[in-house]
Amino acid sequence: MNCMEREQLFAYVHRMLEGREEETVRGHLEECAHCRGAVAELHKLDAVLDEWKPREPSAWFDARVKATIAAAERQKAVQGFLAWPWARAIAAAVALLALIVAGLLVFRTREPIETTRPLAQKEQPAVQQPAETPKAPGQTVAQSQPAATQPGQAPSVEDEITMYENLGILEDYELLAGFDVLSELPMGEKKVAN
Amino acid sequence: MAIDRDLELMLAVRRGDASSFEELLHRYRGPLVGYFSRMLRDPAMAEDLAQETFMRVYQARERYEPDAKFTTWLYRIATNLALNALRDRKEVTPPFEQDFEGEASEPRDASRIPDARPTAEQALMESERQRIIRQAVESLPERQRAAVVLHKYQDVDYRQIAKVLGVSESAVKSMLFRAYEALRLRLEPLLEEGRL
Repeated sequence: MNCMEREQLFAYVHRMLEGREEETVRGHLEECAHCRGAVAELHKLDAVLDEWKPREPSAWFDARVKATIAAAERQKAVQGFLAWPWARAIAAAVALLALIVAGLLVFRTREPIETTRPLAQKEQPAVQQPAETPKAPGQTVAQSQPAATQPGQAPSVEDEITMYENLGILEDYELLAGFDVLSELPMGEKKVAN
Repeated sequence: MAIDRDLELMLAVRRGDASSFEELLHRYRGPLVGYFSRMLRDPAMAEDLAQETFMRVYQARERYEPDAKFTTWLYRIATNLALNALRDRKEVTPPFEQDFEGEASEPRDASRIPDARPTAEQALMESERQRIIRQAVESLPERQRAAVVLHKYQDVDYRQIAKVLGVSESAVKSMLFRAYEALRLRLEPLLEEGRL
């Protein structure tokens, strides 16, 4: 009796044969001890391979998958939104608006500094003018300033202080003396003394 | 029936049902991590690729058509990722010889097998017998290895494997026979021990 091809026996063991072929091999195995030995060897190999145990997923596997998918979906949503031309126009308009608002905010916060600087700068000629006349030693810049502002000239810081000192309400200090905060001001004491 | 349940779940995922995706994740996370760890050995890469497979399944949910088993589709994605990872790894190591069928054949020198050393964790975990089996499977050419791992460990039949690998059924039968014969020769010492 001729033995079967090993490939045919392999296909039989792993159920790769069609009905008629399978019956032929089964019939042959009943009569052939050598082929039965070959089939037993294949089963043995199968059992040895079963010893290689699979690796289990880590405990955080599901969480990682979900987080990755969520991140990908967010990215896809943004990309999908920007794919529309009108969406791109809206995004550009929003960006431009944000830029303008930011610019305005910066401008407004810098504005007081810019208005006081010219005042301080304009003090310089006023300080230097009396330099033509001999200056007393130790004379300060403030002392050398003119007492009154010339017409057409921007008011100096000292002028502004003077203006506030002469406000009408401060004249009526009797009325304001009841306010504790104001009474603590040195200026207030000065007024009372006056 | 398990197959029908997979299809039901995947169709529900296509409709946007998140809980169905979670069930698929629960059903196939173990098999996929096992598949990649047997194909690549590196545990971290196995998890990364299993994760990538699930992400691709989710992203392709709207294109899913139930014209084949869910597992065929799933393992086609997984096998492509595994074979690409093996190719990427091989780029930094000497290439295997190509046989007449275009498949990678065994390396001439065992020391040229990429990443042949087990990690410290693996050394602790696996027994000597498991190590011999692993090395025997890893010595197979990539596509033969994929066919054997799918057939033996993932319970994928040869018709499905043909679809996964994009070859004919007869080619898969032949591929599996050659792979199992190579394993039988390599594992002869274990087969003769009679400890089974």
